[in-house]
Amino acid sequence: MQSHGFLRTKEIASIVLIFVAIKFADSTPTLLSQKAQNGFWIIPAISFIVIFPSFLVMLYLLKKYEDKHVVQLCEAITGKWLGKLIGLVFFLFAFSSMVFDARNYIEQVKMLYFPESPTDYIFFIFIIVAFFGAKRGFEVIGYTSRIALPVIKFSALLVILLIWEEVVTERVFPVFGSGLSIIATEGIIKASIFAELFFVLIAYKATKETKMFRKGAIIASIIALAELLLFYFIYITVFDYNSIEKIAFPFHDIIQRIEFGEFFTNIETIFMVFWLFAAYLKFIYFLYFSAWFFGAVFNIDNFEPLLLPLAFLVILIGLLPYNSAQTQLVYHEQLYTLMSPFFIFLPFLLWFVAWLKGDLRT
Amino acid sequence: MRYPILFVVLSFLFLLVGCYDRIELEKQSYVVVIGVDKTDERGVYEFTYKISNPEVGSASVPNTPDEPAAEIVTVQGSDILSATYTANSIVSKRITLDQTKVIVTSEELARSEDFMRVIQSTSRSPQIRGDIQLVVTKEKAVDFLNNNEPLVETRPHKYYQFMLTRAIETGIIPKATLHRFFQITEGDADLFLGIYATTEMDNNEQHNEGIEDKYIAGEIPQQGGSPTQFMGSAVFKEGQMIDTIDGEETRLVHMLDKTLRMEEYIATIPDPILPEFFVSYDYSQKKEPVINIDYYPNKPTEINVHVKFQAEIIAVPSLIPYTQNLEYRKKLEEEIVKRLEDKTEAFIKKTQTEYKSDPFYWSLYIRKHFKDIKEYEKADWHKNIYPNAKINVTYELDTLEFGKMIDDSDLNEVRD
Repeated sequence: MQSHGFLRTKEIASIVLIFVAIKFADSTPTLLSQKAQNGFWIIPAISFIVIFPSFLVMLYLLKKYEDKHVVQLCEAITGKWLGKLIGLVFFLFAFSSMVFDARNYIEQVKMLYFPESPTDYIFFIFIIVAFFGAKRGFEVIGYTSRIALPVIKFSALLVILLIWEEVVTERVFPVFGSGLSIIATEGIIKASIFAELFFVLIAYKATKETKMFRKGAIIASIIALAELLLFYFIYITVFDYNSIEKIAFPFHDIIQRIEFGEFFTNIETIFMVFWLFAAYLKFIYFLYFSAWFFGAVFNIDNFEPLLLPLAFLVILIGLLPYNSAQTQLVYHEQLYTLMSPFFIFLPFLLWFVAWLKGDLRT
Repeated sequence: MRYPILFVVLSFLFLLVGCYDRIELEKQSYVVVIGVDKTDERGVYEFTYKISNPEVGSASVPNTPDEPAAEIVTVQGSDILSATYTANSIVSKRITLDQTKVIVTSEELARSEDFMRVIQSTSRSPQIRGDIQLVVTKEKAVDFLNNNEPLVETRPHKYYQFMLTRAIETGIIPKATLHRFFQITEGDADLFLGIYATTEMDNNEQHNEGIEDKYIAGEIPQQGGSPTQFMGSAVFKEGQMIDTIDGEETRLVHMLDKTLRMEEYIATIPDPILPEFFVSYDYSQKKEPVINIDYYPNKPTEINVHVKFQAEIIAVPSLIPYTQNLEYRKKLEEEIVKRLEDKTEAFIKKTQTEYKSDPFYWSLYIRKHFKDIKEYEKADWHKNIYPNAKINVTYELDTLEFGKMIDDSDLNEVRD
């Protein structure tokens, strides 16, 4: 590992913020609105309430067992083999999230901006760039995120400002969409839209002091939630419930609608550049964290050479599904359903075991 | 020594992949308007593409060739995109729909059940943007496009952009984007208004009562200029055209719907004191209308609408001193408000009994009375709530200005 502990609160916060908040600009809103209709914009809030305590418990445990990242923590609490098994599950979740998301993102780029290019080529270029980014090591990733964050968020802000005149707030009503019970269950089932928070925990030791990591992660996750809520609110008030269900890429649909006065029409490509920037960062994180989990499970201290084979694996598996709608609406949804209980209950189980063992007393 | 070579090869891989989607501007034909017509066969439509000629009117070409500003091609096909490939047997370059501004459809097609089918295919393609305006023409779309020859603004994209923007600003036609069409049609609660236009003069219907907006396209007596008239709207219910309304009614819709924007317009009313003359005033509305809906499941819903507006008197041909005389001014104010209220009431009655739905997008305001969508859809705004509702629209004249002249010249003194 090439971390010398130079990262601080700001870098970690940037990573978490970009990693989680980019969910407003892919197909997640469409996925959520399938069942919840116009109540879907509250789902992130419910998910957050459900999953955030688990995240805090995880941070608390990491604090108690000093100098360990999440896989080492599991090993320390549950014993070597069970801990490694949990680590493996982490790896599989991170990796499969990456594969499904990658296909989805590639499909967006292809469909909207490069209709003639073959998917394979775009996939290849996309993942190779992410690989080169990841290869630079975690500190460079952290610095890049910090530098990129203001630019990316500024463009998101600009989108909000320019689209604001099309927002009709009455469209959020009826408030509970397809029904309160449906929204609540969806919120719990899809709690893993915040799964990225747990993937970041592998980098627990990367900061100068672990306190900085905790502070950065907590602050950033709250900001990310606010951002998701705001964008989902805009989607529902611009599109209305019958339309949002059908739109595969709401972010791109919304930037197509933006006009900057009479003269500057059709300006979506400007926003697409920043979106692409954020998307690259997202896959850099995914790739790096997957390799890190893999390395941690199989005791490979120098895990960076793993990035290349993993990147190729992403391309190969990502190209397997028939089309992106299927990947997103069927496979990815199943993955979410699988991940949610794991991330909700695991931290409490670990805490319980640690408490039984008496490790928490000190 | 091998690494530099590898690097060069790899960088080619990266740089050249972008060339897949490379296409020269010169090799594309930009369609500005698409016309859609019915044919005798079901499922087959006639598509007309108006392709702009970029060489005309551009400053970068010093000697503008003597070519027309646009080319019009008509082919048959099953949907908008696939017909472009058929059209390519006539047009020399690749047909691109990225810059399309308007879809024109004939009234015949708009009134048929299949209209939804042909227009639905537009939302799937990323080339066709949601902010394309929907225009319904009295004649066939192909005739409309062929007859429409603007005299001054010959570049078609600018013509449509300016023509529609200005007409929407004055409220005589609605803003009718595809996005709005799908939103309202899929929402299944309100009426969508499309732009109504024609190049065919209807000499029987032409009338002139001195009122500037009581027309539907084709009825405006005109001399000179381009033969195209944009006026009034086509009313769509559940994705199918059911009627047309005139410019005046379209303006009423603009006043009562907060999602449609209108800058201001000039209206004329008969002079309350000397009814053979007219008084013109400039109507502007700074604030959105206040709409209150009291929903009762078992008895008629009450809808109260309050509109605040400003007026500025432009012309008083009767030369009655409205500025000075308080009593006269009161009468004028009352007349303006009363006329608006009468017109609105008559129009609402028509929508309730004839259309059985509203063009004002008022279903937005009833939504908050329901907990979830199931309840809302069961209550059925379209069929149940709106046609039976008690609707009360009141207007309030906020300020009445008299322009820069305090008083008109006194006819008696002039003729002295």
